[in-house]
This record gives sequence, structure tokens and C-alpha cells, in this order.
Amino acid sequence: MKGKWKALTFFILPFVLLFAAFYLAPILYAIKQSLYKVERKGTFGKATEVFGGLDQYQRVFTDGPFWESIGRVLLFGIVQVPVMLGLALIFALLLDSGLVKGRRFFRLAFFVPYAVPGVVAAIMWGFLYSPNLSPFTAVTSAVDLLDADLVLWSMANVVTWVYVGYNMLIIYSSLLAIPQEVYEAAKIDGAGAIRTAWSIKIPLVMPAIVLTTVFSIIGTLQLLAEPAVFRTFSSAVTSTYTPNLTVYSTSSIPNFNLAAAFSVVLALATCVLSFAFLKVTQRGGDK
Amino acid sequence: MKNVNRLAPTLVMGAATLYFLVPIWWLLVAASKSRGQFTNTAPLWFADFSLVDNLRELFAYRDGVFLRWMLNSVLYTGGAALLGTLLAAMCGYALAKYRFPGREAIFNVVLSGVLVPATALALPLFLIFSQFEATNTFWSVFLPSLVNPFGVYLARIYATASVPDELLEAARLDGSGEIRTFFTISTRLMFPALVTIFLFHFVAVWNNFLLPLIMLGEEKLFPVTLGLYSWNTQVNQIPELRMLVLTGALVSIVPLVIAFLILQRFWRNGLGSGAIK
Amino acid sequence: MRPPMRSLSIALASALALTACSSGGDAEETTTGAAACAPSSGPVTLTYTTWIPGIENVVKLWNDKNPNIQVKVQTGPNGNGGTYANFFNQLKAGNAPDLGHIEYDALPSFRVQDGLTNLADCAEVTAAKDQFVDWTWGQVSFGEQNAVYGIPQDTGPMGLFYRKDLFEKNNIPVPTTWEEYAAAAEKVKAAGGYITNFSQSDISQFAGLSWQAGGRWFANDGTKWTVNFSDEATTKVANYWQDLITKKLVSAVPPWTTEWDNAYNTGQAWTWVSAVWGANSIKSGAPDTSGKWAVAPMPQWTAGGTVAGNWGGSSTAVFKGSKHPYEAAKFVLWLNTSEEALTALNKEAQLYPATKTGAKLPALSEGVEFYGGQKIYDVFATASTQVSPDFVWGPTMTDTYATASDGFKAVVSGTGTLADALKTAQTKTVATLKSQSIPVAE
Repeated sequence: MKGKWKALTFFILPFVLLFAAFYLAPILYAIKQSLYKVERKGTFGKATEVFGGLDQYQRVFTDGPFWESIGRVLLFGIVQVPVMLGLALIFALLLDSGLVKGRRFFRLAFFVPYAVPGVVAAIMWGFLYSPNLSPFTAVTSAVDLLDADLVLWSMANVVTWVYVGYNMLIIYSSLLAIPQEVYEAAKIDGAGAIRTAWSIKIPLVMPAIVLTTVFSIIGTLQLLAEPAVFRTFSSAVTSTYTPNLTVYSTSSIPNFNLAAAFSVVLALATCVLSFAFLKVTQRGGDK
Repeated sequence: MKNVNRLAPTLVMGAATLYFLVPIWWLLVAASKSRGQFTNTAPLWFADFSLVDNLRELFAYRDGVFLRWMLNSVLYTGGAALLGTLLAAMCGYALAKYRFPGREAIFNVVLSGVLVPATALALPLFLIFSQFEATNTFWSVFLPSLVNPFGVYLARIYATASVPDELLEAARLDGSGEIRTFFTISTRLMFPALVTIFLFHFVAVWNNFLLPLIMLGEEKLFPVTLGLYSWNTQVNQIPELRMLVLTGALVSIVPLVIAFLILQRFWRNGLGSGAIK
Repeated sequence: MRPPMRSLSIALASALALTACSSGGDAEETTTGAAACAPSSGPVTLTYTTWIPGIENVVKLWNDKNPNIQVKVQTGPNGNGGTYANFFNQLKAGNAPDLGHIEYDALPSFRVQDGLTNLADCAEVTAAKDQFVDWTWGQVSFGEQNAVYGIPQDTGPMGLFYRKDLFEKNNIPVPTTWEEYAAAAEKVKAAGGYITNFSQSDISQFAGLSWQAGGRWFANDGTKWTVNFSDEATTKVANYWQDLITKKLVSAVPPWTTEWDNAYNTGQAWTWVSAVWGANSIKSGAPDTSGKWAVAPMPQWTAGGTVAGNWGGSSTAVFKGSKHPYEAAKFVLWLNTSEEALTALNKEAQLYPATKTGAKLPALSEGVEFYGGQKIYDVFATASTQVSPDFVWGPTMTDTYATASDGFKAVVSGTGTLADALKTAQTKTVATLKSQSIPVAE
């Protein structure tokens, strides 16, 4: 028993300590910051931080553009996340089905976009969308992919492009973890590839799909690099286009306290949504 | 019937390959052009091949600072991903295989760490580091990059799935210590998962640019993403940088592709050994 | 300066200030600012953060000759790209560099955050005042006595870049007034081009145009700020450009993109009302048009007028907390006034000096090949003297620019007008000031 505690300490403590120092401490600090406000005297008076209670939160909740941006990323998520994960699932099943030759090649080819840093991916697609410089001018000169109606979906495409391969790998690796015996039983039953996929594989990789969904929800609410880059070449992307962009612009005013309050609300919103999703899917699983 | 079954999937995968690789191809072609030809030649085919010139210019610009950034990135990401994977694996393994009070509490707290926006963390981290006058150092980026709550989550799931309790019991009966069992038996069983965690951690740190942006003032400490970003903000003043940014972007993908190729080999081996049982 | 003298200057400052409230703030600042300007004993190392390309080569000239005042350069993204945010963070954490690169429009933000050392007590600094173009000193002193919060480095006097060849070929006279400019716009459109590209996100350019017309966006009477983006002059400028946009006489490609370079490179856009540094932007963005451009003075609101606007320009400031303001000031004075440094800065980064003699640098007195051999810098040297000195920037310009540019972007996409966008930006700016507890008149 003594050995168990020694081992536990050895296994858990390093991570927990680092986690406390580099995750919990900053979060607590941000919460504290959000409860303060500045006071100053005169036009150039030095600012002093005083306790402001929920003043900053009141600002957050009455900030129209911020809630609009939350609505915008939710819309983005409702459309983009299912499309991206649907593709990832299809590709993972195809790779796993043995119907496609050159699995290693596809696995690599689909994953390569994930190696492109978000900022660089957005710059690249900016060129591909450009009305005159794009290789696909037939499309881009007819439809403005960067105008107010379409730019959200143009960004959705960038995110999809980068992350399909990543999500595919998560699902694929959990497909590989399915023991061979399960398939052998199916083979004896004479189940075809599609039926095997539908009634055996998908239920078994459901946890992985739930996981990737949660992470996609989180990623969507935290969109920053893509809109930040798109801002430079699209008229439709404002400085408060996504919640994280609002946080970033607020902290560069600089209004640290308000920025902290925005982040806390955003983190809470993310938590609520992810947990709600987990709860819903778990209830479905229990049936 | 059999042929049709194979044709459709192959077509789907082929179309998807085009979708994923054409932008990369574009980047390769763009990086091979001179600045003049970049705007007025076919975007998807080579003009005069100046990739070598671009590369030479890239590595010579400002005393070869780009090479330095690449090395930094390898250090930040390789180091943090290796160590971070080990830490996450140990923690996730312990959460999966030991029952102890507070287990679920720790797990839930760690898991909710994944939900915190990066913008919310980076600024407070900076203020905390500055209390210790440790900003603008290698460690200010390296240490926070070690923490990967998602890795703990994955490690726990994989440990539950791939390390049978009976095996641990057997090891205990053989007199093997808990820690030794972990390193000799469990890590082997978890190996494919560890490679996955490493890979995702590696890419996450490689792509992270907000933290270094806030922490680092010294250009020599920049990782390559921040370096490219900072060049990109200067394109207004120095348009020559645009070609360097594109060439640099191309070069910055190469190490990841290599890492992935190497890891893929391990992955397959790991899976093979997993299948033996 | 001795303490008694200092109290005297505080008393003077208080007397000048309008209310006791503001003098409290001033007094506090003068105390912390003035105590510091004395030479340090022994060698010092200064840290200097900037994004000027090639700055290392300029600083090396200094370091080689000044073993006791060594300057260590740190470079990063441009100001709004991240370096300002870093400065604010560092000031909050108390570890800012000794020196930082700050554009004029950002100086008030840093002063409001109490981030700048007042160099008024460094005798060498105040003595240098007359070397600088008059209006730049107003920008760094905020029009106050005994206040120097940065040393001017470069400026952006504006002029009219135009395609000489196309104007001549189509028999269009080069516009000298805005009325003629609008008339020319019609003719250019008829000839298949656009007179210019209206920039949806360069609000500082629009500010330069308003500055020329007599618009004053901010004022500060010591007790509170006034924000006014809808004064007569600004509205006049807004309506003028609105008209060109509505009639589709200007294009609206997002600026500083390859697309935008392309518009100039392929002769779609015929003019650009821009700052002196724009000379290099055109040269590198539109290389195929070499020899076809020329520069004329900015169009005027009244025929025969001689008023110019300014777009951009920066200062070098000593941050609060620097332990060596004396040495820092000494270095900056060399950097921003000596012919050696100014020549190097111009060579490395095309900076246009903020000093009166800087305009006479050999590099700025020659004909420029790209502009058909025209001595274009003569135009800007004149413009530089025609910039009105009393334009004041607000203390949260990052936010103001962002909101105004959000509105301008909507305008070029077909919603609203520039004047409305400016009114919205004004309301939002007032709200931002309030959320920061900065006193502001409604």
C-alpha cells in the first residue's frame, strides 16, 4: 500500500504542480483581475486599481457586439463542426475498411494541413480566395468569398481544411483499437462493409466522436488566428468578429480588467456548452 | 461488385487528397517564384525556378535569424512535447489504474483546463512570470508548454483500454515495483497512444504563437510562427518580406512532415505489437 | 534639478492648470519624472524595443563609439501588431525596456497608462526642441510646458502621388484642389481606371486628410477629454469621400494586400494621397510602373491654399521605470538628430527625419529614378512645414481605429455612410474612455 502512494505521488505530482502553476494560477489571477476597475484623476492621471465588484461583468453583459459574436461562432459551429467531423469519420472508416489502397499516403496527405500553423494557413487561403490572384479565378471573380455573406464560411473552410485530418486520426486510431475478434464475429454473420461500419464501428468509436466534438466546440468558441488574419483583407471581419478577437482588442486598449471579464465569461460559456453536450450524449448512450 | 466497391472510395479519397494538397502545392509553387513573377504568372505552376534564391535569401536575412527560429521551435516543441507527453502519460495512467480519493476531482479540474481560452491564460501568465523576472526567457515559453490537459485525458482513456488490470496484478505478484511496471510494461502497451499524444502536443506547441508573442521581446528567442507573424506585420514597410514569409511557411512545415513520417513508422510497429496479444 | 526648484515648477504647473483636480495628477508625474535625469555612474546598458528594419546596423554605429552606454536592441512585430500590447503588459509588470518606439497617435495611450518618463528636466532634451519640425514637438509635449514624453523620430507629411504618364496621355490636369480632384476622378473613370483606392482600414490616413481640412478629433483641457469626429471639417472630408465611393469613382480593395499592390501595379489606381514613406510602398508594390509616377502637393480645400496633412511618424520614448533616463535621452538625441544616424535610418528603413535639417540629407535631395528623376522629397519638405501643429490624438486610439475601420468597412460593402461610421466611432470611443475611468465630456 505504501508503494502505491509513493507511485501515485511520482506519477501525478509533477503534472499537477505544473498544472497548478501554469493553468490554475493564471485563471485565478484573471478572475481576480475581472473584479477590479481603474480609477484616475485628471486627463492623464495615474490609474489606481480598486475593487469594482461585478462592474466589468455588467459591461460584458450589456455589450451588444460581444453577444453578437457569440451568436456568430455558434452558427459557425452548428454548421462547420458536423461537416468537418462527418468528413473525418467517413475518411477514417474508408481508411479502416481496407477498400482503399495507399493508406499510409492518404493518412499523411490528409494530416499535412494540420502542420500548417493557423496564421500561415489563413494567409495562404487569403491568396486562394483573392478575386484576382487566386488560382481559381473562375470562382473567385464571380463570387466574392470575402464579403459579409460568405466570409464566415470561407473561414469555416480554412478551419475544416486544417482540422479534418487531425480529427480523422483520432477516430482512426480508436478504430484501430477495436479488437479483431469483434470483426471476426461480424464476418461470420456475413455483414458487409457498410453494415459493419454502421452497426459495429461507429458505435464503438462514439466516445472518440464525442471527444472530437467537444474539442471542436471549444475550438470554435475560441477562434482567433483565422479572423485576425482575415481582418487584414476582408471588409466584413470587424475587430469584434469573434469573442476571442474582442478579448484581444480589449486587452490591447489596454483594458486588462474588462478583457479578463470577457475571458472569464467566454471560458464559462465554453464549459457550459461542452458539459451540456457531454451530458446529452451520455444520456443517449445510457438508453 | 467488388470493383465498384473499391472505385467509389478511391475516388472520394482522391478528391479529398486534391482538396488537402492543392493549397500546399500552391505554397510550394509560390515559394519558388521571384517577387515579380508571384503576381503575374500562373499561380499553380512554376515560373522561373527561384526557390533556391528565395531559400538563400531567407536563411541570410538578418544574419540567418530564420534558422535560429527553426532551431528554437524544435527545442520548444520537441522538448516540451517529449517531457509533456511523459508527464501527461504518468498522470493519465495513475488516474486510470489507481483508485484514490480525489481522483475524479483531479480529473475534472484537469479536463476543464482544456476549456480555458488561450487568450485568458497568456496575459496572466506573463504577469506571473514577470513577478519572478522570468519573462523574455526560454523557460517562460517552455514551462507553460509542458502542460497538456488533453494528453492526460487521452492517456487515461488509452490506459483504461490497453493496460489490463490482471497484467498489473501479475507484475505485482512478480515483485515488480509500481514505477518499474509503468516504465517496462504499461508504457509499451500504451505506446501507440503515447505517440498520438506526443504528436498532438508537438503540433499544438509548434502552432502556438500567442504565448511567445506576449512573453518574448528578444527576437533571438522567437519560435518560427512568431517570427513569420512578425515579418508578416512588416510587409507594409518592407514588401520584400512577403516572399520570405511564404518561403518560410513552406520550410516551417517540413520538420512536422518529417516528424510525422518517423512517428508513423513507430505507430505501425506499436500497433503491431499491440495486435499480438 | 534641486528639489526646491522642482516644487517651484510644480507650483507653476498648478497655476497654469485649470483645476486643483488635474494639478494633483500633474504634480505626481513631475515628481517621478524629474528626479531621474542625472547621469549614472559607470557603464550602463539600455534596452530598446522597436520594429524598424535594419535598426541593428544603426545602433551598432553608436555602440562602437560609446562603450559606456551600450544599447541592446529588441525587435518584434509593428506596434498594433503586438508590440504596443507587449509594452502595456510590461509596464503593468514593471519590466518595460528603457526605450520604445511609439507612433505619435499612440503616445497619449501610453501617457494615460502612466508609462512615459517626462524628459523635460534633461537639459539636452529641452535644448534640442528647436531642431525639430514644430508640429512634432506639440505631439510629444501634448502642448504643455515642461513636458517632453518622447523624442520625435520620423514624420509622414502627405502629398499626391500620381501616374504622370496616364494623366498626360488622357489630358487630365493634375488636381491642385479637392474639387479638381473629384473632377479628375470622373475623367479617370471614363478612361477606365480609378482615381485612387479608398482605404477602409487606414483610419490614420483619413485622420491625416481631416487634419489638413482643419478637423480636430480630440481635445483635452486638463480636466477632461472631448471627442469629436463630426466637426465641420471632418464631416466635409467624410462627405467628400462618401460621394466618390457612392459614385464608384474610387476602388475599395483592402489596403496593404497583394491585391492592392496589384491595383497600382496594373494601372487600375492612378493616384494615392499618401505620406512621404508611401514613395517606397509604391516602388516596391508596383515595380512595373517604374518611371511613370510623380509627386505633387496635396490637393487643397481652397484654391491656392498651402495646408498639408500628416500620416504616421513616430517618436522614441523613455519608459517609466528606466533607471537611466539621462543616458537614454542622450542616445535618442543622437539617434533622432545626428546626420550619421538619420542617414543610416533613411538608408535602412526609409525613415523621413523629424528634424529641420534632416530634410536636407543628401539622400533626400536627389532625384528619384522610380519617379522619373523628380526630386520628390522637396515636395514633402515643403509639406512638412505646412502641417498644423495642434492636432491631438486620443488616449485609446487602437480602439478608435478599430471601431472606425469596422464602420468604414461596412461603408465600402454598401452599408451606411462614412459620417455615420465616424459618429458610431465617437460614441464607442467615449464609452471606452469611460470604462477606463478617463474623464470625458459627453
